Amino acid sequence: MDPDELSALPPEAPRKSPHRVRTISVNSIRSLQPGSLPAQRSYLDYERPEILAPTPRQALAGGRHLLENSSQWLNTRSHSPGSSRQLSPTLSPGRRFSTLSPQALKFPTNLSSLQAAEAPPERDVEHAMARRWIRWMHKRGVKAWVVPSALLAATCDAGQGTPPMFGDYEAQRHWMELTIHLPIRRWYTYDLQYWGLDYPPLTAYVSWLCGIVGHRLEPSWVALGSSRGIETEASKVFMRSTVVLLDALVYIPALIMFTRVWQATRSKRTQNLALVTLLFQPALLIVDFGHFQYNSVMLGFALLAINFFALEQDVAGAVCFVLSLGFKQMALYYAPAIGGYLVAKCIYLGTPTSLSFLLLFLPFLPPFAPTSAILDPISRIFPFARGLFEDKVANFWCASNVVFKWKNWASSAFLVKLSAGITALGFLPTVLVFMRIAWQTQLTPGAKPPPHPPILPLLPYALLTSSMSFFLFSFQVHEKTILLPLLPITLLLSGAPLDSTVFGWGALANNMLRSRDGLGVQYIALTVLWNRLLGYNPLRLPSRSFIQLLSFAVYAAALSLHLLELLIQAPARYPDLFAVLNVLISTPVFVLLWLWSIKCGVQMTWAVGGLGSGGVPRPHRTASMVGVDEKPVDSRRSSIVGPGRRRVPFESEQEASAE
Amino acid sequence: MEPTDTTNKPVKRVPSGSLKSAPSSDFQSPMPRRKSWFRWELETSEYDLLFLSTSIKLLLFPSYRSTDFEVHRNWMAITHSLPMSQWYYDTTSEWTLDYPPFFAYFEKLLSIPAYFIDPKMVDLNNLDYAPWTVVAYQRSTVILSELVLGAALLRFIRGSVDPSTQRIISASLFLHPGFLIVDHIHFQYNGFMFGIMLWSILMARNGNKLASGILFAVLLNFKHIYMYLAPAYFVYLLRSFCISPSGKLEIKNFLSLANAVIAVFIVSFGPWIVMGQIPQVLSRLFPFTRGLNHAYWASNFWALVTAADRVLLRYVSRTGADVAINISGVASTSRGLVGDTVFAVLPTIKPIHTFILTVGLQSIALVKLWFTPTYKSFLTSLTLCGYASYLFGWHVHEKAILLVLVPLSLLAAERHAYFRTFIIASVAGIFSLFPLIFTPGESIVKVLYSVLWVVFVYVPLTRRVYEFPISLSFVIIDTLEKIYLAGFPLLQLFVTLFPMLVARRQQSAAAPADTCVSTADFTCPEPDPHAGGVAAMEFLPLMLTSVYCAIGLLWGFCRLMFVYLNETTYQGPLSRI
Repeated sequence: MDPDELSALPPEAPRKSPHRVRTISVNSIRSLQPGSLPAQRSYLDYERPEILAPTPRQALAGGRHLLENSSQWLNTRSHSPGSSRQLSPTLSPGRRFSTLSPQALKFPTNLSSLQAAEAPPERDVEHAMARRWIRWMHKRGVKAWVVPSALLAATCDAGQGTPPMFGDYEAQRHWMELTIHLPIRRWYTYDLQYWGLDYPPLTAYVSWLCGIVGHRLEPSWVALGSSRGIETEASKVFMRSTVVLLDALVYIPALIMFTRVWQATRSKRTQNLALVTLLFQPALLIVDFGHFQYNSVMLGFALLAINFFALEQDVAGAVCFVLSLGFKQMALYYAPAIGGYLVAKCIYLGTPTSLSFLLLFLPFLPPFAPTSAILDPISRIFPFARGLFEDKVANFWCASNVVFKWKNWASSAFLVKLSAGITALGFLPTVLVFMRIAWQTQLTPGAKPPPHPPILPLLPYALLTSSMSFFLFSFQVHEKTILLPLLPITLLLSGAPLDSTVFGWGALANNMLRSRDGLGVQYIALTVLWNRLLGYNPLRLPSRSFIQLLSFAVYAAALSLHLLELLIQAPARYPDLFAVLNVLISTPVFVLLWLWSIKCGVQMTWAVGGLGSGGVPRPHRTASMVGVDEKPVDSRRSSIVGPGRRRVPFESEQEASAE
Repeated sequence: MEPTDTTNKPVKRVPSGSLKSAPSSDFQSPMPRRKSWFRWELETSEYDLLFLSTSIKLLLFPSYRSTDFEVHRNWMAITHSLPMSQWYYDTTSEWTLDYPPFFAYFEKLLSIPAYFIDPKMVDLNNLDYAPWTVVAYQRSTVILSELVLGAALLRFIRGSVDPSTQRIISASLFLHPGFLIVDHIHFQYNGFMFGIMLWSILMARNGNKLASGILFAVLLNFKHIYMYLAPAYFVYLLRSFCISPSGKLEIKNFLSLANAVIAVFIVSFGPWIVMGQIPQVLSRLFPFTRGLNHAYWASNFWALVTAADRVLLRYVSRTGADVAINISGVASTSRGLVGDTVFAVLPTIKPIHTFILTVGLQSIALVKLWFTPTYKSFLTSLTLCGYASYLFGWHVHEKAILLVLVPLSLLAAERHAYFRTFIIASVAGIFSLFPLIFTPGESIVKVLYSVLWVVFVYVPLTRRVYEFPISLSFVIIDTLEKIYLAGFPLLQLFVTLFPMLVARRQQSAAAPADTCVSTADFTCPEPDPHAGGVAAMEFLPLMLTSVYCAIGLLWGFCRLMFVYLNETTYQGPLSRI
């Protein structure tokens, strides 16, 4: 060899085995065959995995991680059993199918399928920079530093978005000023013209606390009246550090808890990868640190709520969600999903328990009620005095306004009702889906409940559906509220394999153009870095799938729009031409994302309901219905048959779940 | 700058072909080597680092920038709008051109696109012009020119004995907090020039000493501060290139080197020689009117001496000992502003003293280099030359510490002794750069970034070079060094909190100007009532920083010198080059 061997130091050994010995269960191969008819695989498929699938698989019981669950079910062209992203990051699905399918079709015997399946993957290529990085750190003994350094780096990033200031900054500072100097009853009435306090009380309390600290440090920062518009270097630093501190107190623990709870059975590396993905989400960094807002607190509480739901601590979850709602009314966007979940859980647990639960939750239940009560909180919180939409926000009203002038056509009061109605229609599917699953899988009295209710994996999708429907259809939407739909899709993305549909949607939604007012360079830098960290590349999505084609189309449109913007001045007649075009590109993506999330929810109804309804398996129905999506069915379903038909776990599985 | 393979010395060099195919298993499993028009064939991990560093630098666009930003903009304006004969005469701005001609050419080059982007940017009379386009343009020229550094570091990996370690070192240099602070926040073009320096060192490593000499001559004509390193170059090239191992003069080599270097200088200074402006150019390049210390004390030996003077002065004024006090020095040293530093108690230092001290210490290393003219020896003595100049030079700027840290980094993975020196010098050196950035927002960035950098360099490298301490003295030294390093977080804490405490005390006490607030510090200048104690108090964190860093840097120098002079075993990968 070369002189590496002569070195005093042990040479870096090249990776000896780029592939791992993998076994693929037969049934997963069979399930990949697109040609097999549902009728043929009706009964056998249920028996076979217990005989022919010796691979360790995680049973439903134990700590199977929930994101995988949902994404695997829905994104049915799934990978090998077990952790998809971890074990087979290398196989591009196109390749896998081109090699597997013909053989499987030609020789549909188990033997040949097995041989084809055991052909090792070519090379262990990591596409995601973050994963490469984490792996390097593990190899180099910097392992213990993965999480701290990610946090430090994120803080570093946050600290850099310093200079531009916007009205939000002065608003937050003004609230500190008025809360510490005025009695509590005047908080919501003091000088409303000048950034009057228009967030719920928790924001006011937090402002009060921050204000006290600020007052102790330097009274002039928050002096009543005289401090208006103060922007000294030190006051800016103080305000920034409150954002960072609150971020560190609420949002980051919530993220860490999320990766540990929702991805409990995945490797530490994968959990950390998800953490990095979520930490560096560019939209939130820009809005919270570039502009000046405390969205991360609201999102952090909402995330904590989800985490507690996953831990079966529904009361704590509900409290967290109410805190979130009490911090910013924007969290209302999640309310239908959370409320739907809680009600569905009550239904699922059966009548006797559900009543007590309802009683328990009643004070905490977010302002969600079937029909009539929905308009009331909305009208209280949303400023209907303003127009239907503000600026050029990429929602339905703004986009459709190009061809259909809503304001000329209908009165403002009617538009309020219309938008509320359409919004309600928009999140109705997710509520219905919850109810349906809960009803179908309702526990018989006395039955021992499984560790997770079957409705739990649906929760991120439900959050996405409901917040997206609010974003698209509700009245007076601010552009920054896109953060609310972006959170659940990013959560889903963080656990998804690189070439899955979920991943494609998540990255696309996060990369959508938003107005950048003065933060262009930071915005581009963060977005590029984030995509690089993820290893996102539309080419790696399933080839010629809808999401891939859509991504290409959107990116092409966005690119040409930017080129146009650079080359031509907007005509004087239409000064907002490019902004409107931007909206016209973004809105369809968000609408499609919304539809997709509904589709995922409905699919999950079939997947869960069809299999788990009171021990009556309905395999025909599920297989054919999921087949509508023109994707083969994941074999894993077979391991989650209802309580009556659950197979005995293998030893290895028990070990795995014990871990 | 083609890396030619002319090896005129029997170097045990790894054939580049086998290295190309060698797996680079650091971040990444081997990728298939694609044929690419792009020469460098970046690994995925290297692309990652490029993305990462570029993103960070882009995020730093709007951050604080020093007057150097305006200095460079003004130089662009000078070179763009004036004929060459006026370049070194122009005094429109106070920031006159005081870099050698190649840098002036470089600014001329930068001014051409600048003119098309914004003609006002290169307008000579448009002082302090800094709208967003100018900032973005100048910042991006720094990022782009730093690619020279990146390219040199890549070549270091490609031909190295231990690519995976070299990759860590190269990455550490490319992402060095010093460059981030000095270039991307403070604003200078050091990355670019250190790129040329590393190219020159690389050529020396590859055995192409002629190219190495030429590149160093080019570098000298970009920025003359690299003269600190010139003695090592001179001895090394003379001994190993111009004189054969048997001691015979190699006339051909000598003449080619001499001619090439002279040619470089003629290209650079030629126009001014023709115009007869050399004295003016030199007076701009070497202003001998400055004091011993820079604006705030660079963390070198003289910082320690000045601090000792302060302590002595206080001691003297307390006890009333019979020592002659230089009255002009009492006010002078407490400020440390630009100007002549006069000591109150200690004898005054003249430039000649610093010169003799520097050259004397350098010559110790050079003698050793003369007898062992290997690449590793060259690298060490190069570092020591820069180190001695930094520690004992006249009016040293704190940024000059990079001259030490960059070549020292290349030695980091040699042995544990080198590695310890590297860590101590790097931590102290980077910390000594912190006061350059005093705005709070950027302070967070500089501290966090440096902490991350130290972690990512320290942990992987220490596993490679760790040696068990073999004697009691080693253990003691090791412990002391650890205690010293542990002091830095405390110092940072103090530096952060102290101004707040002072401000608070000032408010609460509303101290009259003539009372001396000298409880916590040792500077209490009586004859300066209007500045009062507060000014001195404000100077205390800076002083502590430079003194504390100076201790570490001085210790690092002694350590490196000791290791170098006792280097007989020749362990370590670089010994085989």
